[in-house]
Amino acid sequence: MQQAEQYWIFAAFCCVVATLLLRLVLRERITLQSSLWVFFSLAALVVLAVVPDLTTSIAHAMGFALPSNFFFAIAIGALALLHVHTLVTLSRTEVRSIALTQELGLLREKLDRIAREDSPGDPPRVPKPSRDGAPPAAPTKTDVLHGRT
Amino acid sequence: MRVLIVVPALNEESGLPPLLSELRAVAGRDGSSVEIVVIDDASTDRTADVARDHGARVVRLCRNLGIGGAVQTGLRLALREGFDCAVQMDGDGQHPPSELGKLLAAIQSPNPPDIVVGSRYLQREGFQSTLPRRVGSGWLGWVLGIVTGEKTTDPTSGYRVYGRRALRLFNWSYPHDYPEPEALVLAKVAGLRVAEVPVTMKERQGGASSISVLHAPYYMLKVTAAILLAYARSWHRIEPRTL
Repeated sequence: MQQAEQYWIFAAFCCVVATLLLRLVLRERITLQSSLWVFFSLAALVVLAVVPDLTTSIAHAMGFALPSNFFFAIAIGALALLHVHTLVTLSRTEVRSIALTQELGLLREKLDRIAREDSPGDPPRVPKPSRDGAPPAAPTKTDVLHGRT
Repeated sequence: MRVLIVVPALNEESGLPPLLSELRAVAGRDGSSVEIVVIDDASTDRTADVARDHGARVVRLCRNLGIGGAVQTGLRLALREGFDCAVQMDGDGQHPPSELGKLLAAIQSPNPPDIVVGSRYLQREGFQSTLPRRVGSGWLGWVLGIVTGEKTTDPTSGYRVYGRRALRLFNWSYPHDYPEPEALVLAKVAGLRVAEVPVTMKERQGGASSISVLHAPYYMLKVTAAILLAYARSWHRIEPRTL
């Protein structure tokens, strides 16, 4: 009985973690896709906590003498997988970030060059409305590229 | 021949003016059309302004990418704008512009290699670096020789010329961790021809090396592992016929 109560506390803890995670998803601090894996893991933990006999059966079926050994082995394996997944995601993000940084640098250089060709010696012009209500001058190529139209 | 000189620079406001002035003086002597681009790797000083004031094109990176990312930016620019080759040289004054002619002559020879590497150890003239660095370079050259089957005397030299095939390869993939030796592995696996040309180099005129004496052994270990991994990875990823 005492053991079952402890498991219920663990199940409640998992639910609290899942709730916190859900809040982060709703606030768009983390994406649903990347957190699904953790949600599924927490759900599995809740099931194992609520039905302890299931843990024992699976542990014995897999050759573990003690259910706790099975639990820790699964937890370590899951954390290792999670770490690899995070590494892959980080590396992919870094590669994309490098490519974007390069593209941004190249585009800015191109933009600066066009701006200098457009108005050599002067800073890029910004069209302003005239006082007599006449329409502003037609936007230059620089203005178009800078989104000033 | 259209040549783009790529100068990656990080906080090199003091080293760039003499380099760019000298480059302007020697560039185009052989009739080539030469442009210079400084890749400002998120410097915190006036590197970009100084480069622009000295007539160079400037690509400013909004975050620091390291030497690999900066060089690849310049190589991508060269490929997109149809340059025949791109020269990579450091912005700290180690690579004398007066040696540029030797590299360009090699890439314009009748049977040109795809990459020409300026080697300070082929004729052992000029600044030869410190003993630990020479030992390290020798070790990396030996590892590269085993991996690629070709002797390399100066695998860490950043004074290089890339032809069109090399530009296409490195536009697709360029190593970011230890780019110089890894790039040679990549080139070899891709079936590119690499040649070394003797050049003299100078001590750096400004800034500080990123590798201290204490970190040198660890650096060597990492680069050795990187070379071996780059070789294994390249075999999986490269299709030479596409170059």
